[in-house]
Amino acid sequence: MKKMMKFSKSHYDYLRKYRTKKILITITQISILVLFLVLWEMLTKYEIISSFFFSSPSKIVDTITELFRSGELIYHSRITLSETLIGFAIATGIGFIIAFILWYSDFLRRVLEPYLVVLNSLPKIALGPIIIIWFGAGSKAIIFMCILIVIIVTIMNILNSFTNCDKQLIALAKSLGANKFQIFFKLILPNSLKDIVATLKINVGLSWIGAIMGEYLVSKAGLGYLLIYGGQVFNLNLVMTATVILCILASVMYFAVAIFEKLMNKFYD
Amino acid sequence: MENILVNVSNLNLIYQSINSETIALEDISFQIKNQEFISIIGPSGCGKTTILSLIAGLIKPTSGYIKVMNKIPNPKDDLCGYMFQRDNLLPWRTIEKNIYFGLEIKKQKSKEKKEYAISLANKYGLKDFLKKHPSELSGGMRQRVALIRTLALKPELLLLDEPFSALDYQTKLELCDHVFNIIKSENKTAILVTHDIYEAISMSDKIIVLSARPGKIKAIHETGFKKELTPFERRKTDKAKKLFDVIWQEIQNEKNDEIQ
Repeated sequence: MKKMMKFSKSHYDYLRKYRTKKILITITQISILVLFLVLWEMLTKYEIISSFFFSSPSKIVDTITELFRSGELIYHSRITLSETLIGFAIATGIGFIIAFILWYSDFLRRVLEPYLVVLNSLPKIALGPIIIIWFGAGSKAIIFMCILIVIIVTIMNILNSFTNCDKQLIALAKSLGANKFQIFFKLILPNSLKDIVATLKINVGLSWIGAIMGEYLVSKAGLGYLLIYGGQVFNLNLVMTATVILCILASVMYFAVAIFEKLMNKFYD
Repeated sequence: MENILVNVSNLNLIYQSINSETIALEDISFQIKNQEFISIIGPSGCGKTTILSLIAGLIKPTSGYIKVMNKIPNPKDDLCGYMFQRDNLLPWRTIEKNIYFGLEIKKQKSKEKKEYAISLANKYGLKDFLKKHPSELSGGMRQRVALIRTLALKPELLLLDEPFSALDYQTKLELCDHVFNIIKSENKTAILVTHDIYEAISMSDKIIVLSARPGKIKAIHETGFKKELTPFERRKTDKAKKLFDVIWQEIQNEKNDEIQ
């Protein structure tokens, strides 16, 4: 309906300016990347900076092809990706449920508050040795590390969003005789949807940190293992390659959440 | 006695907090007849809203009792409809879905009830706005949606907690007429809490003036207007002016007492 409406000339001018600006931003973004890669390639090609310490885009591409042919690329990526996704899913799911329980019970919330604060400020990597002893040097330990890092932030963010719901809306629901479950599903949850999606976005980053940190500790396979191994044998090509692949995978996961957010917003309207 | 809808008798309420206790209400007694419109007026903090919460059954009195249709009030019953200062419409729902909110909570979302709710919306000028979101409506309209959400549950008694005070003056005068008209034509009983003396005079049959904290009943006035006058017309009568002076004086004395 709205699109059918005629606008004044100045509105079209405004739209044109808006589009031009958008295109300009995209062009600049791409140029920065291209310029960076070209500069990197040139500087290392003419040995202005050492290609041994800095690697180079062409060498990274070679390494990627090589790793892909030998099947190692898929193998290590798959391991890290599955650890990340499992950690992300479990931590987000359980974190949400715990946040709900703490919202539901004022008593529990107040009892557990200091524990949450301490756990939040504790650097989770410090628990590395304990995790290895408990879970062994394998994927289990890595997933646990990932969960540990993600879950506390999830609980705190979502709980904060739950308890920040407009008191007046709750008063209205109570005046209608609503029980706590009705208040949760009809008010708190729809009110918090945006914050929950924001938490998911944060969790994408955190679960990659968790998985890579876990692999640093345990180091048998995965992209974190490639990074550590490459560093130890001074194979900077391998280190850079693993970093690039991590970048790509993490962005794909982030955009998946962003698409999910868009669908959510459509549901809102 | 059959005609009595609300019976409040020797009501006392003490609020507890860590550092103090506050006597909010002291020895409040009054009765409301069926289809009567009552206003409660008084200085801020005198416990006006507290009386509504007590009648709705949201809080329990420290002593004394309240009976609505001879029963101790409970928010789970469908006797009272509460309307707040703010419309409290859910921003993520359309107007139509907002009107159903009460029905959903009470698990009464039957076809008839929905149709009744929509017929109210159509009757009171919201027909074209049902699919819109609250942010697209003006303050006065939103407050009308809130009233229809309340009426959809067919409450016997409407509790109006300063529903006009957040609106600009013009909207407020218009909405007063609207709400008055809606309440009268749906044959409802209503209690209006306000600090606006003219608003109280123009809308109600009876005005209860409360003293400053602790809230006690200072006076009860019958307005005695002709039934067919709208609130706007009532505002302009000499009777309204005289009554205004009396109530103003009562509230003023109250403040002076407090200062001394």
